[in-house]
Amino acid sequence: MTFEPRITAFVCNWCTYAGADLTGTSRLSYAPNIRIVKLPCTGRIDPLFVLKAFEGGADAVLISGCHPGDCHYASGNYHARRRWSLFRKLLAFTGIDENRVFFSWVSAAEGQKFANLVNKVTEQVRAAGPFGERNLARRRL
Amino acid sequence: MSGAIGAMRADAAKLLSEGAVKLVLGYCVRGNERYPCFISEAAQAEALDFDQSCRQNLAAYLRKPEVRGRAPLAVVSSPAVCRSLLVLSSESQIRENEVRALAIGPKGYGGILGLGALGAWLKADYPDLVPEQALLDRVAELSAKTAQERAKFWMKEFEKCTRCYACRAACPGCYCERCIVEKNMPQWISSAAAGHGNYAWEVIRAFHQAGRCTGCGACEAACPQGLPLMLLNARLSQDAFEEFGSRPGYELEAKPLIGSWSAEDDGSFIR
Repeated sequence: MTFEPRITAFVCNWCTYAGADLTGTSRLSYAPNIRIVKLPCTGRIDPLFVLKAFEGGADAVLISGCHPGDCHYASGNYHARRRWSLFRKLLAFTGIDENRVFFSWVSAAEGQKFANLVNKVTEQVRAAGPFGERNLARRRL
Repeated sequence: MSGAIGAMRADAAKLLSEGAVKLVLGYCVRGNERYPCFISEAAQAEALDFDQSCRQNLAAYLRKPEVRGRAPLAVVSSPAVCRSLLVLSSESQIRENEVRALAIGPKGYGGILGLGALGAWLKADYPDLVPEQALLDRVAELSAKTAQERAKFWMKEFEKCTRCYACRAACPGCYCERCIVEKNMPQWISSAAAGHGNYAWEVIRAFHQAGRCTGCGACEAACPQGLPLMLLNARLSQDAFEEFGSRPGYELEAKPLIGSWSAEDDGSFIR
């Protein structure tokens, strides 16, 4: 059986979710490997959400929000950027590398960018292979 | 060093006899053991001692109501403890008139310093308190391995954790009244001492110290299982310094690293 990556996407309500919606209404098709979780803002995305996604079976996590300067709450994405910049390095240091956690800015007008992004991320995760059920971050039943 | 300790004892006795403080937090030395000691009378000041093995961070006591209730107090403070005091102050956890430091370090005794004067003492005598080179070398060595090797290394280490939370108790930065690990509606971090719960706890504990850790090493020293927690802390401190110039504990009022931002922050990892 071929490996189909499961990717959890945490997106903000105002830009990327609207962008993903535009992808759909524009009838662009993209890899069906993504599960979207809508949050008010990238600033709302706690590092715990990422750990929870890996714990529960995600092969990768995608985080996407408004471009700098476009945040609906003025500075949520700036706060998020600083936090992620450190957290991704800590994750990499403990063995979850850059093939597992992705970040992007997708605005409400960028339906095509969202489709391309999901396709590219899916390809990269497919190449990297499954997250590994024996990884310490994974819940073992 | 003996002259420095004499001066420190004399100052502690003076503060107590004048009634300027009600309690002095310090160390006493017995053989190879280092104990925290709490002094409330000038005559007891002779019990105070200090050497480089006093790694317990006394600033961690300042969150306890029974200690805070006895303010104003003085704390025997190594450079790392001084930095913790400044971090606590910048996070509005202690007030300037509540705490004084009896600042002491490898370069001698710095006298009775208010929180406002600590920064100047640190900058003059200990301007670059960075993790020890040996520790940085171990961080670099581990960082150079592949992701699989790192995962394997940490899996072996994290599996030892019994979730006693001694690291949390020893850390002055961990002062939340209800820690995230104890919240169970919803439960973000499994409380079972195994597997993914251990991973989440270790990573989140370290990350909650991002831009706040002063590198005192009290967490690692307190760990009964000998987890190399300082590897995580040092890696984060290094990243925070290189990327954002973060040097926690040198200013009385500093913006928290996580919780502030700049439009110039690096975004090259974002697609």
